[in-house]
Amino acid sequence: MKFQVNRDVLSEAVSFAVKMLPARTTLPILSGVLIEASTEGLVFSSFDYEVSTQTKVAATVETPGRVLVSGRLLAEIANRLPNAPVTFESVESRIQVSCGSANFTLLSMPVEEYPTIPQVDGETGVLPAEEFSSAVSQVAVAASRDDVTPVITGVQLEITGNSLSLVATDRYRVAIRDIPWESTGTVADITALVPARTIQEIGKTFGHSGNISISITNKDDRELIAFTADNKTVTSLLIKGNFPPVKRLFPEKVENYAVVNTAELIEATRRVKLVVEREAALRFTFANNGLTLEAIGGEQAQASETIDAVISGPDVVVSLKPDFLLDGLGAVHSEFTRIGFTSVENPAKPGPVLITSQTSKDTPSEDAYRYLLQPNLLLR
Amino acid sequence: MDAFFASVEVLDRPDVVGKPAVVAHDSARSVVTSATYEARAMGIRSAMPLSNAKRLVPDVIVLEPHFEKYRHYSQLVMKIFHDFTPLVEQLSIDEAFLDVSGAQKIFGSPEEIAAQIKQRVFEETGLPCSVGVASTKFVAKLASTKSKPNGLLVIPEEDTLKFLHPLPIDALWGVGKKTAEILHKRGLHTVADVAHSPEQSLITALGQAAGAHLYALSWARDNRPVTTERVDKSIGKEHTFNEDVTDLEKLKATLLFQADHVGAQLRKAQLEARTIGLKVTFSDFESLTRSRTLPEGTSVGREIHKIVCELLDDLRIGGRAVRLIGVRAAGLVEAGGQQLSLWEDDVDPWKDAEIVIDQVDQKFGPASVRPASLLRKIEPTRESGTPG
Repeated sequence: MKFQVNRDVLSEAVSFAVKMLPARTTLPILSGVLIEASTEGLVFSSFDYEVSTQTKVAATVETPGRVLVSGRLLAEIANRLPNAPVTFESVESRIQVSCGSANFTLLSMPVEEYPTIPQVDGETGVLPAEEFSSAVSQVAVAASRDDVTPVITGVQLEITGNSLSLVATDRYRVAIRDIPWESTGTVADITALVPARTIQEIGKTFGHSGNISISITNKDDRELIAFTADNKTVTSLLIKGNFPPVKRLFPEKVENYAVVNTAELIEATRRVKLVVEREAALRFTFANNGLTLEAIGGEQAQASETIDAVISGPDVVVSLKPDFLLDGLGAVHSEFTRIGFTSVENPAKPGPVLITSQTSKDTPSEDAYRYLLQPNLLLR
Repeated sequence: MDAFFASVEVLDRPDVVGKPAVVAHDSARSVVTSATYEARAMGIRSAMPLSNAKRLVPDVIVLEPHFEKYRHYSQLVMKIFHDFTPLVEQLSIDEAFLDVSGAQKIFGSPEEIAAQIKQRVFEETGLPCSVGVASTKFVAKLASTKSKPNGLLVIPEEDTLKFLHPLPIDALWGVGKKTAEILHKRGLHTVADVAHSPEQSLITALGQAAGAHLYALSWARDNRPVTTERVDKSIGKEHTFNEDVTDLEKLKATLLFQADHVGAQLRKAQLEARTIGLKVTFSDFESLTRSRTLPEGTSVGREIHKIVCELLDDLRIGGRAVRLIGVRAAGLVEAGGQQLSLWEDDVDPWKDAEIVIDQVDQKFGPASVRPASLLRKIEPTRESGTPG
């Protein structure tokens, strides 16, 4: 095998392949990046039996072939190479990499032992990349990081007609956003539960790619989703199990709400939360066209701050965990935020608050992002 | 209170008055819970193994402990305190701080109040006590210790440093064996030595919090008020076996009993624990503690037991003989203070079951309902902690 490739193209392809690999792997061979050279160019692949990546790159291939090299080492080398074309050549069990005045010799890993990368064929539909990327960043914050309940460590994709909803929850909050979807396959309504960490990386990588092609397949009892854009493909196994029916938790109509300036509330929350312990909640009092934040329960220190708020309906007091509120405020992506107060039948439990975006004090935005958060009991 | 448990026992045993006696369960492995002043004069101390006490004083009288009696007398004494001031901070079963600054118009000077308290306690219970009077809590405690037994010592504010500075450093609050050792190595032996060293050097030796705290105390700076509500920092239960135990199943059965007890205590106090700890002392007195912090607090005995068993398994004690085992719940938070979830799909059935067990126990007495695995007799577990 022998080929020549542009340094920046190489660096980008290798770092993408390595990014999706787990930091530690039980099988050493999975820490490798597979390089396949053919007359059509190069393909860089990585795979850990759950997630796979493939990147197609143009290159001048002299002799076709396949090699497997340590992914992290190759990524570090590719990042540091001088600005010159890079030549790869396999010599027996070694690979020689030369670039300008720099030369490296890398050990070739046993390529014949590398597992087959899953291939998906047939497109299910197409998504606008930019909206998908921002929706993922808004929704995935609410996904659970606790592996005890695997179904809620994912982001649920629900396709109905021309719309795709992304949903995530950790039981304490639920985040939802709908984006347009263009179905190109035969199946109409589909759901797919994708690991949150994977979909977050995909969102970041494919943010400026125009359209993302999605393919969902069921092969050998393993459900697989593939995201393809810009000559890159990422596949991921879907999480098995039923995602909780959280959509019904959202109220149809909220009459009692307040509108605040998003940045002001973020700043105030960050300040007031300084005096409470990590798990403790803050008290939010919505009254007299203002919102007063108070840190309660701290023996040693207390804090309070009042910001402007436009309140519709009666005054309200709620107890919210600051980090959960900040996740929601950070995701509305709008100058103003509407905080809606709902009621529930259970008198022992306060009704959830609904966070949505507002373009101004009076106008709700078109953005279909919704963040539902369960307040704590008011202790004092 | 002076030798509180022993004094209470002696009330019912006039024949013991004036003789060396200890309160302890008379078995091979027990430790002295409390000793009369006659016994102390002969070298017996609290927490000393009973066998050592018997070696020191072969004819020492061993009195069986009666915790319900101590609680009764403790309540009587605390009630007397409350007649003088509402600001009573109960420190343990037999100690309390009283803020009498507001009581002087009615009862006279602090010294007069102290004398009245001593008199009423003796008249109404027959028990001796010692009172220290000072302008700060920790000097008052030192004064009361210094005046024991049956004493009364007043340290006027202006004489505080004169009293404090000649004392050995381990008289200071928070100075145990380890800290004292560190300070001795630096040539610091008295409170005056500490007071006259630079604060920064204490901080270097002991760490930020402990160093600064010690320096402040050495100048009698202690601005903690007498607080009537005391927040429990941890709840625990431990047990010393009569014979060392190697059987893992037996250890786990003991842990189940303890975990259930700790869970019940938590629920009674409406608290939940974020940190669950296991303590194991081996036959060679090597002691290990392990703890785990949970994402959410718990007051469920079953859950506590599961965690301590995992901690015990992780220790891989093999066949080592265990002398003492215990469960501790720390990081206590108010129950219900933690994050509520939007929906309930896995209501913990054990929590409800244990609440029902609490109610049954309240009606029919302790251990009316208990795990079947504990029907085999296990050794009764004593209350952990000894009175100061």
